[in-house]
Amino acid sequence: MPIKVGIPRALLFYEYYSLWISFFEELGAEVIVSEKTNKEIIDIGVKNTVDEACLPVKVFHGHVMDLKNRVDYIFIPRIISLTEGEYICPKFCGLPEMIKYSIKDIPKFIDTTINFRKSKKNLNRTVMEIGSYITQDKKKIKRAFEIATEKYNNHRMLMETGLLPNDMLKKDFLGEVPQPSKKDKVLLLGHPYNIYDSYMSMEVIDKLRKHGLRVVTCDNLETDVIDEKAKTLNKKMFWSFGRKILGTTLHAIEDDGVCGIIYMACFGCGLDSVIAEIVERKVRRSSDKPFAMLSLDEHTGEAGINTRIEAFVDMIRWREDHEDNLSTYR
Amino acid sequence: MKKVYLGVDVGSVSTNIVVMDSNKNILDNLYIRTKGKPIEALKIGLRQTRNKLDKDTKVLGLGTTGSGRHLASTMLGADIVKNEITAHGVAALNTVPDVNTIIEIGGQDSKIILLRDGIVYDFAMNTVCAAGTGSFLDRQAERLGIPIQEFGNLALKSKSQVRIAGRCAVFAESDMIHKQQLGHNQEDIINGLCEAMARNYLNNLGKGKDIKPPVIFQGGVAANIGIKKAFERLLGHEIIVPRFAGVMGAIGSCLLAREEVRKTGKTKFLGLDIADSNFNVKSFECENCSNMCEVVKFYRDEKLAARWGDKCGRWSNVQIAKDDEKLA
Repeated sequence: MPIKVGIPRALLFYEYYSLWISFFEELGAEVIVSEKTNKEIIDIGVKNTVDEACLPVKVFHGHVMDLKNRVDYIFIPRIISLTEGEYICPKFCGLPEMIKYSIKDIPKFIDTTINFRKSKKNLNRTVMEIGSYITQDKKKIKRAFEIATEKYNNHRMLMETGLLPNDMLKKDFLGEVPQPSKKDKVLLLGHPYNIYDSYMSMEVIDKLRKHGLRVVTCDNLETDVIDEKAKTLNKKMFWSFGRKILGTTLHAIEDDGVCGIIYMACFGCGLDSVIAEIVERKVRRSSDKPFAMLSLDEHTGEAGINTRIEAFVDMIRWREDHEDNLSTYR
Repeated sequence: MKKVYLGVDVGSVSTNIVVMDSNKNILDNLYIRTKGKPIEALKIGLRQTRNKLDKDTKVLGLGTTGSGRHLASTMLGADIVKNEITAHGVAALNTVPDVNTIIEIGGQDSKIILLRDGIVYDFAMNTVCAAGTGSFLDRQAERLGIPIQEFGNLALKSKSQVRIAGRCAVFAESDMIHKQQLGHNQEDIINGLCEAMARNYLNNLGKGKDIKPPVIFQGGVAANIGIKKAFERLLGHEIIVPRFAGVMGAIGSCLLAREEVRKTGKTKFLGLDIADSNFNVKSFECENCSNMCEVVKFYRDEKLAARWGDKCGRWSNVQIAKDDEKLA
């Protein structure tokens, strides 16, 4: 019987799933990913989380609950820093503890610390530690990580062609980018776990696509381009996702193909409250592109978000028509 | 024979119906409380409208807007279903063609819409929180035992400043109670509340935006002169409250319906007598997956007319003509 490793389909799953899944599979483990976020997962997550946490963390708890009775290990790394000199949200480094003390009767965790703040030198040690939960064969771990990295790099390259993680996660994914009739790009900003979780984001990507818009995110842009742009900020952005979001924003401001920018944030997110503010100022000061802010929380009523998306699309179309000197309505 | 267009705005607090002729003249407008029952409110509204119209009036088209716009469209058959931003923008442009800024405060939403050269250029809506909107004012008026219509005039009688926290409705209310227990005048407290709302609106929605005159103030809350004055003090210029400020959304949907019917040539409106139909709503929790969507079944005269609320489309896409019992 292979060891069953559970990976919650939440938080950084959308960023690293190709790496994590293939790594554990190469090691010979059976990987079980939790169900897609649904009402039950949110309900159960909200019930089992400290009440001051943000929705993505509550959703993560829900996914852990979904996995807890059917795996040997749950992969909940303690992530402190992913890039040299940068941090991510502090909730990530307390995540294993938060879960340990909120949820009873859970399987063992793979809670290796991931901290590349000083340098990536400890990458090898980190990988070995994670791998040691499954096998003691160091060569096998090394080989598995190489294969997984290759998969991950391929995955990132595919995204640079315009694909989004939730396209690739579809069961019937064929490797084609859905092409809407009109080639208008809308830049969707926000933490990956907000924008790619279609239940939480109330299908914002599909909704925009139905309006004939092409949705692009930070992931569709090469890292070098993002970093180059982020360097032009007067002060270093020390949050990894903040750097990506700001770099992408600065790039989009100069891209004529981008006809609108949407920032999707979760209510109560400390990082978003700062980053969204900077993004909005940058967009407003150095471009005339439409900008909208969408806030998410536990509510399931979609009317609010639909109205905002509809009005945003109307505004884009209205401007286009105006530029073409057509009707002034819509 | 009179030819008219109808505009319907089903909001959280009020349901508005506007009757407009082909030359964009407003013939009639109706503002009734939704009272949490949009279907009832629409029926009452439509009956009242019908009674006021001449027998030989022909309705050329109907548009709906507001948070209940899809429901209204299913009930009445709309030619166009539009969000409130666009509807308000269109209506304001029709009233003041060179308008640059629209302040709109409704029951649950507040919006700022910036227009340049006759097009919507930028907008913002309140985020998840509904502080500083009509329903909060309503609640405070009720708590103080003052009819909401007199709220604004009372504010004008204020002689001294009382500062109320406006960031959050809960804090505002406790601040108001605190000030009232200290013995401040009711007028001053009400004025303080009006200022807090205007301040909060400008901080929240107006942040970083170029609020250029002419500024139009519309939506239900525009009827409150205390808030209008507070805005004028804060912005330093005059604010226009149009004659039909409370029903601008409905006017916008009239105009949009007129445009739409001109294109399509015919209307989807089911007729004024639809007000006598029996509308029924049943809802159930779908148990086919763990999303447990709350599906709504909408019946017109005991016949299933529409279904919505599901994420996957298994209920809303199914041909309504089929006997739904077979599927259920």
